Amino acid sequence: MERRDFFKGAAAGAAGLVVNKVSPAEATPVPSRPRIKRPTEADEFGYAQARGGANAGAAASAGAARYGSDLMVDVLKKLGFEYAAINPGSAFQGLHESLLNYGGNTPEILTCLHEEAAVAMAHGYAKASGKPMVVMVHGTVGMLHASMALFQAWADRVPVFLIVGEHRNPTGIINAPHSAQDMGAIIRDFVKFDDEATTPERFVESAMLAYRLAMTPPMGPVALIVPAELQEVVLDRPVRIPELTIPSPPQGETAAVREAARLLVNAERPAIQISKIGRTPKAWDLMIELADTLQAPVQVGTNGSWQKFPSWHPLYGNGGRGYTPDVLLGLEVGEMSNQARTARESGRKTISISSELLFQHSNIHDYGHYADVDLAIAADAEATLPSLIEEIKRLVTPEKKTAMAARGARVAAAHKEGQIKAIEDGRYGWDASPVSVPRMLSELADQIKNDDWAIVSGHQFTGDWQRKLLNHDKPWRYNGDCGGFGIGYDAPASVGGALGHKKAGHLPIGIFGDGDLNFSPGVLWTAAHHKIPVLLVIHNNRAYHAEVMIVQRLMGERGRDVSKANIGTTITNPNINYAQMAKAYGMYSEGPIENPKDLAGAFQRALAKVRAGEPALVDVVSQPR
Amino acid sequence: MRIHLAIALLVLSSALAAAQAPATPSTPVAPTGDAKHGKELFESNLRCYACHGYDGQTGSPRLVPMGRAQDAFVAYVRKPSGRGMPSFAATPERDLVDVYAYIRSIAPAAPSVDSLPLLKAIAERRAKAN
Repeated sequence: MERRDFFKGAAAGAAGLVVNKVSPAEATPVPSRPRIKRPTEADEFGYAQARGGANAGAAASAGAARYGSDLMVDVLKKLGFEYAAINPGSAFQGLHESLLNYGGNTPEILTCLHEEAAVAMAHGYAKASGKPMVVMVHGTVGMLHASMALFQAWADRVPVFLIVGEHRNPTGIINAPHSAQDMGAIIRDFVKFDDEATTPERFVESAMLAYRLAMTPPMGPVALIVPAELQEVVLDRPVRIPELTIPSPPQGETAAVREAARLLVNAERPAIQISKIGRTPKAWDLMIELADTLQAPVQVGTNGSWQKFPSWHPLYGNGGRGYTPDVLLGLEVGEMSNQARTARESGRKTISISSELLFQHSNIHDYGHYADVDLAIAADAEATLPSLIEEIKRLVTPEKKTAMAARGARVAAAHKEGQIKAIEDGRYGWDASPVSVPRMLSELADQIKNDDWAIVSGHQFTGDWQRKLLNHDKPWRYNGDCGGFGIGYDAPASVGGALGHKKAGHLPIGIFGDGDLNFSPGVLWTAAHHKIPVLLVIHNNRAYHAEVMIVQRLMGERGRDVSKANIGTTITNPNINYAQMAKAYGMYSEGPIENPKDLAGAFQRALAKVRAGEPALVDVVSQPR
Repeated sequence: MRIHLAIALLVLSSALAAAQAPATPSTPVAPTGDAKHGKELFESNLRCYACHGYDGQTGSPRLVPMGRAQDAFVAYVRKPSGRGMPSFAATPERDLVDVYAYIRSIAPAAPSVDSLPLLKAIAERRAKAN
C-alpha cells in the first residue's frame, strides 16, 4: 500500500467516526476514546502487517505476534543493558510495552521525572559500573530536556545509550512538534554517533554499531532515533542479531612510546598529569606502577573524570614548591596548550598521549587550543601504559634508579608535608555556623571510616577538601566531575552512580550544592522509588557562589557599586529547606543543620538508612566554600 | 547558568596569592571603626563572606588573624594587587574602616588539631598511609 493510499484510508475511517451517527438507544458499546488508526510505514519497511492491520489484531490477541519493539528488547538484552532510565512518552510506547510484557522488565525501567536526570543518572552509572545505561526519551521535547546532560556526558567522554522515540508521520497537533526532518541533528554536536532506524534490520545493526562506538575510546553518548511505527510493526520474518565485538583501543606507536620513555627517564624532574584516564579499574594499578617506576609526581586535574590515582599516595600532587617539571607527560589531558607553550619558552618538553587526538567534533570548543607539545601520541593512554612502563623499565639503569629514588623521596616528603598542613587547615572555623566544609567532611569521614565508600558526585564546589580529608585509596572512591562545567549533574549522577555501585556493595555518597539539586530535584523520588541506597549531603551555601564572586569582582573592576552582587546569584529569602524537599519526595532526611555539633548524629542516622538499602539526604547549611 | 569555574578558581588562587594576611601579624594599632556595622557590611552589602567565609577564616585567603594595619587594609581593598580580589574603590572609607574593625574583632577559632579528635584521627590516618 502506498503511503498516500494509507492516509486516504485513515481519513475515511476517521470521517466514518463522525458521519455514521446513531441515536443513543441504537448505540453499541464503543471505546470511550475512538482512535484514528495512525499512519504506519509497515509497507515501506517491507512488512505486511502493522498494529491495526487486517491480520495483526488476531495475532496480537492471541499473543503470538512479535513486534518491532520486541526485537529491540532482544537487542538491548543481547547488549547486556541492566537499566533503562525513562520519562514516558507516546513515541516509544511500543518499546515501553515490550520491555514490560515481552522482556519481563529487563532492562529494568527506572522512572525518572526529567529527561536531564535520566541521562545524568546514566552518566554517573557508566562511570561507576563501566557499562552504559539505556535512556529512552520522547522526540524533540524529551530529547531537548535530555540535551544538557547529553552535553555533559559528551564533554566527559562517557557512554550513554539514548533511544529517541519519534512519530515519524505524526497525526494531530500534539505529535507534530515531536517529529523532525532530522531528529539527530538537534543533538549531533554532542553525541558520538546518531542514526535513525528505518527497518528492524537497520535497528539491529545501528544498535550494535552505536554500542561499539560508545564504548571505544574516546567514549561518548550515542543516539538511536526509533520511529514509533517501527516499534509497532509486526515482524513476519526472523531477524538475526549479530554478536557484539568491541575493538581493542589503539596503543601508541612503538617508536613514539620509546621516545616518550627516553625523555621521561632522562628527565631530572619529570611529572605526570592525568585527566580522563581510568575508564577501567586497570588504569589504577597502571598509574601507580608508572609513578612508582619513574618516581615522578602525578598531578590530577580538577575536573577530570575517569581519573585514577590515590590521593594519599606519596607521589600525588605537583612535586612540591619549586618542582618545575623538565618533562611533562599528559595522559588523556584534552587541553595542554598552556603547558606546552610555557615549556617551550624555557626549553622544557611536553608529551601528550590521548585518544582525544583521534576524534573530535568541531562545534563545541571542548577540544581547547592547539597544543604544540614535543611529542603527541594519538592513542588510548590506558592501553599504552603497559608498553610505556615496560620501555621505561628497560631504560632505567641502576644509577638512574638511585637518582629516581632520591627524587621520589623528596616529592613524597613535600606531598606529605603539604597534606598534613592542609588537614591542619581544617581546624579553622571548626565550630562555625554555617558549617565549614572541612568540618562537614571530617564528620563524614569519621562515620564512614570502616565502610567501603564511594564518592559519586563531583567535587568542584567543595574545593579539594575531599581528597585531603578522605583517602581515595581504591579505584572506585571517586567518580569524577561532570565534564562540561555545568550544574545539574551531581544529584542525578550521584543516584545513577549509586546504582552502579549497588552490586559491589559500596557505600555511595554524593556531596554537592543546593544550586545543583534544584535543577533535577525529582531524582530524589527516583532514588526513593527504586530504593537506591545513597547518602546525599547537600552543601547548602544558599547561592551560586562562584557567580557571587565573579560578579562582585567585575563590579569592583569597573569602579561601580559592589553591593548588588547578590541579585541573581543568591538563593535566599526564602531559604529552601532541602530536608523537607527530600521528605516530600519520600526520602529519609536530616536537617537543615546549622550547628556543626548536630552533624555526627545526623550522619549516623542517615547512614543507617543507606546501609539498610535506602537513600537518605542530609541538608547542611554551610560556609560558601 | 554556565559555571565559570575556571575563572572562579583564578579568582580564588589570585586572591590567595595577592591578599593573604601576613602569617605573622605585626600587631597593628587598634581599629577605629564600628565593628557591628562592619559585620553587617561584611555579611551583606560588601559580601566579604563570599570568598573569606562568614567568620573570615573558612574561605580563601583567611583574614583572621588580620596582619595589616588599618590604613594598609583600606589602601589594599581599594586597589588590590591581585586580579582575584574585587576592588572596593567606590566604597566609602568609613565603611572599610568598619569592616576592618569587624575583622579585628573576630577571635581566631582555630583550636589545635590535637584538641579535635576527628581531625587528629584523619591526620593520623594520613600519616600512616605512607
